[in-house]
Amino acid sequence: MIYSLLVLSCPTSGNCTQTAAAFAQCVIARGHSIHRVFFLDAGTYTGAAAAVFPQDEADRIKPWLELAQQHAVELILCISSALKRGMLDQSEARRYEKQASTVHPAFTISGLGQLVDACANSDRLITFGG
Amino acid sequence: MTVILHTLNTSPGSAGFTDCLRVIAAGDALLLMGDGVYGAIADTAAGATLQASGAEIYVLTADTAAAGVSNLIKGANHVDMDGFVALTERFPRQQAWY
Amino acid sequence: MGAVDKKSVLVVVRRSPYGSSLARASLDVALAAAAFEQPLRLLFMGDGVLQLLAKQESEAIGVKNIGRLLTSLPLYDIERVYVDAAAATRYGIDLSNAPVTTQALDGPGIHQLMTDCDHVLGF
Repeated sequence: MIYSLLVLSCPTSGNCTQTAAAFAQCVIARGHSIHRVFFLDAGTYTGAAAAVFPQDEADRIKPWLELAQQHAVELILCISSALKRGMLDQSEARRYEKQASTVHPAFTISGLGQLVDACANSDRLITFGG
Repeated sequence: MTVILHTLNTSPGSAGFTDCLRVIAAGDALLLMGDGVYGAIADTAAGATLQASGAEIYVLTADTAAAGVSNLIKGANHVDMDGFVALTERFPRQQAWY
Repeated sequence: MGAVDKKSVLVVVRRSPYGSSLARASLDVALAAAAFEQPLRLLFMGDGVLQLLAKQESEAIGVKNIGRLLTSLPLYDIERVYVDAAAATRYGIDLSNAPVTTQALDGPGIHQLMTDCDHVLGF
């Protein structure tokens, strides 16, 4: 089956984004495919390139980078949620004349149409919030 | 028949818990994760309400262990991530309460 | 957009209009689905019914007016809008004055609505 994920949770509050990443790995391990992971609202903080985690805490971005590298999973940050949270890729940083991009290059900034497309093209749409 | 997989990620005192309980029915499954796992503690009003819903009740093992409630839970099936994905294979749609 | 496959989507809105960024985000998802002609239903449940209060004036707090946004839903052909009747009663909301026309549902009715949709997006 084809899965897509909608991630709304803030990566530094609770463990829901880590659950979502582990879920995605397991979906693939069970022979399904991930069409897309769409990060919306506080979920867009997941793509923070410069987040530093203490040694005794899990790195919240690493499992997503593994999904992107190992399985070419598409990671999309909602543009309206991302920009107002200071999450900018290089082209958005240039467009808004900000000093630096803040989003890891494994993530792509795009519009809500990508979520609608994921709904249309997936057998399962699993939401992770809270 | 499998109808809706509900995932509940918030404690029994929350609006998410109350709203979930108003909708859930026999034929559904409920997976408790994050703070949701406190809902399945034995001999509590929340636990009794979940049992009375007629739905299949599951708890996510890693989250029950973190919360310290693994041995306090009654009437729920313990599932790991593999079991979570298996639930999403069985149930065609999911509603997330949080 | 990729394939033209249509899946019916239900957006469940459970947040008060100005207390959570999820309120606006959920409506933006509904509007985007409608813009891409994806079959879309909208349910206001629990605290989400607070979005249906008439005469919202949010300009002073610097946030876009959710009530006004709701009045535009029919322009986007979002016409299947439902409300959790018990929550509306609990908050004393006069649905006849709400910014958008809704169909009232009880718990089993909400369960049936979810069952009728391919994907349920809970906010």
